[in-house]
Amino acid sequence: MKAATLLLGVVVAASFFPVAKAQKPTLRVSGSTTVHPVVSEAAEVLRKDKDLAITIDTAGGSTGGINGLGDRRADVGMSSRPLNNADRKKFPLVDFHATSIGRDAVSIVVSKDVWEGGVKSLNADQFRGIYECKVTNWQELGGEDCRIVFFNKEPGRGTWEVLVKWLYGNPESAPRSNHPEVGANEEVRSKVSGTRGAISFVSTPWADGQRVFALGIQKDDGSVIGATGPDIASGDYPMTRPLFVITNGEPAGAAKVLIDYLLSDAGQELVAKHGYLRLADLK
Amino acid sequence: MTEVLPPSVASCAKVFRPRWILWSCALGVAVTVTSLLGALAMLLWQSLPLLGHQGSSFVTAPEWYYPEKAFGALAMIYGTTVVSLIALVLAVPVAVGASILSAEYLPPGLRLVVKSGIEMLAGVPSVVYGLLGVLFLREWVYHGLTAFDPISGDSLFTAGLLLAVMILPTITTLSDDALRSVPASQRSAARGLGLTRAEAVLHVALPQAAPGILAASLLGLGRALGETVAVFLVVGRQDNQLPGNPFSPTAWISPGQTLTSKLGGPETHIAYGDPLHWSAIIGLALLLLLLVGFCLAAAWGLERVMKRTPMDTESDS
Repeated sequence: MKAATLLLGVVVAASFFPVAKAQKPTLRVSGSTTVHPVVSEAAEVLRKDKDLAITIDTAGGSTGGINGLGDRRADVGMSSRPLNNADRKKFPLVDFHATSIGRDAVSIVVSKDVWEGGVKSLNADQFRGIYECKVTNWQELGGEDCRIVFFNKEPGRGTWEVLVKWLYGNPESAPRSNHPEVGANEEVRSKVSGTRGAISFVSTPWADGQRVFALGIQKDDGSVIGATGPDIASGDYPMTRPLFVITNGEPAGAAKVLIDYLLSDAGQELVAKHGYLRLADLK
Repeated sequence: MTEVLPPSVASCAKVFRPRWILWSCALGVAVTVTSLLGALAMLLWQSLPLLGHQGSSFVTAPEWYYPEKAFGALAMIYGTTVVSLIALVLAVPVAVGASILSAEYLPPGLRLVVKSGIEMLAGVPSVVYGLLGVLFLREWVYHGLTAFDPISGDSLFTAGLLLAVMILPTITTLSDDALRSVPASQRSAARGLGLTRAEAVLHVALPQAAPGILAASLLGLGRALGETVAVFLVVGRQDNQLPGNPFSPTAWISPGQTLTSKLGGPETHIAYGDPLHWSAIIGLALLLLLLVGFCLAAAWGLERVMKRTPMDTESDS
């Protein structure tokens, strides 16, 4: 009885002490759902080859990743938007160090009925109308008589910043407007494909042309361009963004192993495999 | 009658009095109470900047737009209320019916099977219900309500429907307990007076179990108010949806936002580091805690009433 009590006491006492000694430190990666597939596959390789312990989550998207890094809840932030002054002001003690691993474009996608109804492209003015709830029927844009259902991305998503940068110049001047909100790219695809008259925007690899359909963008001169390799590389396509992994200070230790791998030929192959442009494609 | 214990028992009682049991229990109570009070105090403390900035308009203003530091929670309070009410209205009648069947009519063996099945349902993790909601309910609502022209399958109504399914087992099993706690002698007496079985249930058992059933419903309401994941997945997450007419069916089948879907969303991550925004998020959490706490306290009070009632009737008779 006494021995058992003693044993219980020891176990309870021991549970108060961290047992991290025995385990190797885990590299915590957090952020953008756009960067996630690439990093996740790289992590898979590194877990096997280099015996690295890596956890990855995408809570809160790019801003969630940057804040996670700032609060030391993550060691590497994944971001599909550049760092801005607000981030630096929020975490003055953190030395953000962003490494670009590729480039992505954002596509406007619509549901099948809209695509088949004849809407194939939009210009910035028309999309601003939708964003501000001034244009509410596809008829006004050359489609069939059907209400426009616009799914906006949650605040903090890198994709959202790319869109409003195209529409309004910078995220701060985006007007206040209320729409149903969606999060990850996969959720956008599922909701747009299942709703009549739906429109939203996703990272290009998710615009599959089967469940959701990418609209072309009409430039001021009337020509229409799509989110294709050459137009993204040349900068003609307006909605593109660099993809980053961010560290506090120069990458070191496990974070350096991960980032070096992402920049290597094998890592860049993963970038291309998931539909993004490699660093080499951009120059 | 004085208490004279046999010597063996007396000595046993004297020897086996380990102090540490008492102390460890006291420690347990102290830890529980201080962590609860600590959490409440922390929430209050951290929401002070918000109350300074927004004042009482935090609960009366409908506009929530964090880039402009507008933090009005009314639209979310409305969302939470509508979603929970829909859930209650749909779940309570079904639950009461099911509990009457299991408590009054089913033979003991079958009742055990039914009751344990229901209790198992109550223990299913909410994310499972949420995913089932995404899989089926959204489609059903979207296609089933075509006549009302819903924007999409995500709406306050979808969330309420899903919550109704989720709280149904809780309310059923607790109502069943309430009905079973009405003494069998009362039913016998009623039958002896010539009432039919149905009349005995309706006029004797149900009225006495009513406070217990109400308490069960309030516990269900508590769960509905606090449910996050499942609601997040199907509510549509559209801010500032406060209709002119709170009972407008169009608003109910439109996407909306609840306190929990806001708290479960990305703003919690964004707010971290910005004192005022963070404080607003904590304010929402405090609001939610108060709502749920109120429901649980009311349920607890009713349960006490319920426990007292049979004794009173006995002393009267």
